[in-house]
Amino acid sequence: HPWETVIKAAMRKYPNPMNPNVVGVDVLERNLDTEGRLHSQRLLSTEWGLPSIVMAILGTSRSTTYIKEHSVVDPVERTMELSSSNITLSNLVSVDERLIYRPHPENPETTILTQEAIITVKGVILSSYLEGLMANTISANAGKGCKEMEWMLDKINVENEELAVSVQESIKSEMATAAAKDLWFAYYCATL
Amino acid sequence: MNSVGTECLELKRGYDLCFNRWFAEKFLKGERSADPCSELFKQYQECVKKAIKEKEIPIEGLEFMGSKREKPHGNAGSS
Repeated sequence: HPWETVIKAAMRKYPNPMNPNVVGVDVLERNLDTEGRLHSQRLLSTEWGLPSIVMAILGTSRSTTYIKEHSVVDPVERTMELSSSNITLSNLVSVDERLIYRPHPENPETTILTQEAIITVKGVILSSYLEGLMANTISANAGKGCKEMEWMLDKINVENEELAVSVQESIKSEMATAAAKDLWFAYYCATL
Repeated sequence: MNSVGTECLELKRGYDLCFNRWFAEKFLKGERSADPCSELFKQYQECVKKAIKEKEIPIEGLEFMGSKREKPHGNAGSS
């Protein structure tokens, strides 16, 4: 699908595999920079549906997790870049995500999405539980992100085409902080 | 899709509608028109800020629109 079409859909959709249950989206700030690029700061409200015992362990009384997202749309270069990180639960886990939409270099009538997430889990006791939870969520949602885009594109009356998704996972261990582990996932959705 | 403050939902919808239209019909097409949604955004933003404060959501450096906002370059485009 052409970049413009994908971006229109992306602006109205929240591709974030770490947060399958986005219940609220608000624009905090929006402005054009001197180069004509549109910057938006958005607040995403998500519900994890964590069991209450997990919430008790985490020491949180609220089930809503908040994420701050910054996006930049360059209509001349035809790129849209999004970066987000959680602002709650950040003493326990950091999820930093980056997504870039740009025209496919070999086929400019289509759009390529590059997506990566870095998850840092702090605290030895919880790390294996949270890792498992996140790993499952990311794997389950890796292809879903592309499928959601497909649904959204259908919604705005575009032809249904096949998506090619390749998922690549790698794990880096952080030697400096023994209690933290970085999980890095990069996946590519090429829309054809 | 809801808002962080449920009382802001109507304002949010009004703004989103305006923004999505401008975004698709002007901005992505390279037309440097002035943002027609600034009034709507101001009201919506006030509501959101209030909700954020009430819910004690830890957002730093949340500036009010207007003080830091840069004017779009170029003249108002043709419709």
